Amino acid sequence: MRGFRFFLLLILVVASFAFGKERVVINSYMSDPAPRKALEELVKMFEQKYPEYKVVINTFAHEDFKVLLRTWLASPKGTADVVTWFAGERMRYFAEMGLIVPVEEVFAGSKWEDYFPASFKSTCSYKGKIYFIPQSWYWWGVYYRKSVFEKLGIKPPKTWDEFLQVCETLKKNGIVPIAIGTKFPWTAAGWFDILNLRINGLDFHISLTAGEVPYTDPRVVKVFDYWRVLVERDYFLPNHSSYEWQEAATFLFRGQAGMYYIGQFIKDVAPAEVKDDLDFFRFPIIDPSVPLYEETPIDGFMVPANAPNKKGAIAFLKFIASKEAQEKFAKDLGRLAANVHVAPPDEHARKGLNMVLESAGVTQFYDRDSNPEMAEVGMNGFVEFMHNPAKINDILRRLESERKRIYGK
Amino acid sequence: MKKITPYLFLIGPLAMYIVWVLFPIFHTVIVSFTRWDGMTKMRFVGLQNYVQLFRDRYFLLSFINNLKWMVGFVLLSIPLGLLFALLMDQRFPGHRVYKTLVYLPMALSFVVIGQIWSWILEPTGGVVNTFLRWIGLSNFAKSWLSDPKVVTYSLIWAALWRQIPYAMVLFLAGLQNVNRDRVEAAMVDGANALQRFWYVVLPELRPAMVVAVTVNVIDSLRAFDIVYVMTRGGPFYSSSVMANYMYIQAFHNYRMGYGAAISVIQFLVTLIFILIYVLNVMKKEEREV
Repeated sequence: MRGFRFFLLLILVVASFAFGKERVVINSYMSDPAPRKALEELVKMFEQKYPEYKVVINTFAHEDFKVLLRTWLASPKGTADVVTWFAGERMRYFAEMGLIVPVEEVFAGSKWEDYFPASFKSTCSYKGKIYFIPQSWYWWGVYYRKSVFEKLGIKPPKTWDEFLQVCETLKKNGIVPIAIGTKFPWTAAGWFDILNLRINGLDFHISLTAGEVPYTDPRVVKVFDYWRVLVERDYFLPNHSSYEWQEAATFLFRGQAGMYYIGQFIKDVAPAEVKDDLDFFRFPIIDPSVPLYEETPIDGFMVPANAPNKKGAIAFLKFIASKEAQEKFAKDLGRLAANVHVAPPDEHARKGLNMVLESAGVTQFYDRDSNPEMAEVGMNGFVEFMHNPAKINDILRRLESERKRIYGK
Repeated sequence: MKKITPYLFLIGPLAMYIVWVLFPIFHTVIVSFTRWDGMTKMRFVGLQNYVQLFRDRYFLLSFINNLKWMVGFVLLSIPLGLLFALLMDQRFPGHRVYKTLVYLPMALSFVVIGQIWSWILEPTGGVVNTFLRWIGLSNFAKSWLSDPKVVTYSLIWAALWRQIPYAMVLFLAGLQNVNRDRVEAAMVDGANALQRFWYVVLPELRPAMVVAVTVNVIDSLRAFDIVYVMTRGGPFYSSSVMANYMYIQAFHNYRMGYGAAISVIQFLVTLIFILIYVLNVMKKEEREV
């Protein structure tokens, strides 16, 4: 009898947990300590504001998340109500297959423009419906340590020739000019993107990532002619394929490497004493006749079609879109909030925002704009080029045959 | 009734075997003839995946890397495992401690081993390069995990660290069965140590040898964990193996059909060696019966 009573009690306890509060499950790729903490604190704010919900965060390492997301979305019975992801093609890929649902209810009684810049809307939509709630965005720039540049009397370069001179000065002083870690090859794609944008401009870049231009096009070859100069003069970190991007960043933090073309998220992993010493400059101009374009990936959330608690998901996204939530996240990480009512959290972010506002246009990122399969072979091709620049024609021919197969044109 | 009973007992395991082993294999073969992203409808494309596979230089590279793994496993882990086993079989003082130490890597998962060796082989501050520079051989200090020429061998070496003790255990078990009287008889007849090993001990180790070779071959063909943890097949697929390439194609590039075709090839290659193993064991059992 006693056992039975205990059993009854147990059921009651479990039931009160399960039914007293509605559960919202978030699967997140924010695995670096700083963003992880920021998200946890955001969730606490949400739970205080909406006491009827209990949030569970499942955090996954970034690269694993990219693989796992598909299995979650495709399984008949979902577990996650909200998932972190990237705006643009990579979101549309899932929208097209009906694996994520529109989240227009977030804007019930209001409209997109009350929250976010009108220019973000198309990146977050598919066939006229909004599927993606942006949380923050950031810019890519050439990061360096102010104290190192000062000591060597280096000024941030504005043109390609100046940039090469800076590389040479750093090298002469025993500092690796450019840090990069290509163990995961996407960092090399950053270089491809920015060189292509500076040399051939935005329209060409968009057609290329959309699979409409052959990789053997002379304009693509030209990108590698510039890139090759940096490779052949040994300006990049030696053994870069041994390192992940965070490991390569430590060379910059320790003053062993001079510059790093990377996103603002590099600040997430910088030690406190280096953080304020870090600054960035706009990637130098190569062809003055090409307007300035930058890379500004947008991060945010979407709702799987198989989410068990869609109501809770919408409530959470409504909170995420709000000024207070966006302000908190931007402030903690020094990113730019997507919400138009949030000012840049600090001087650094203001500088980044100004750089973007002065640009003639922006893109997401190579692997966010391309088909995933093309992105995989493309990025590996870029890394192979960085090891064997002489093989570029061979590599481009291979990429071209892959492009034909993947896009069928 | 007597005749049915064993089959009744077999129903459970057989059902599980069909659901968890035979069906997935069968299904993989079917998927390998389709174009499928894992979510939308499958499209039957015949042999297209296989045709493409044999033109895919990265698949061929992965296949060749698997062969390198196989050669490395058989040529290094078998003799070294045997050597360690013979050493540990001597009852010298503290032999248990040494046995445990050599055996220790076996207790670690491949993920842990991969992480440890990533640090050991780290190009700037790793133990290997630091040591090489310290003894004045800085020319030999390499970027072990990012130089396409050496990366596969670095991975095989890390895997051997675990594979050698494995072979050692197999041979140690085999040595237990060696007839001591015969060894002593050979000694009385004046055979020296090498002759005793070659003509008396080694023939008796044949069953252990068969197991060790086949297990090593199979392990080398299904290598995945070490590659995935240490390089993910990079840089640019130079250290890729079939299992790793299958994983990238199927789960990263969303090409289930193509990935399945890779699995089928890998399965067939492995099957050949498993068959050799099974046939051998069956022959031995027949002899004993």
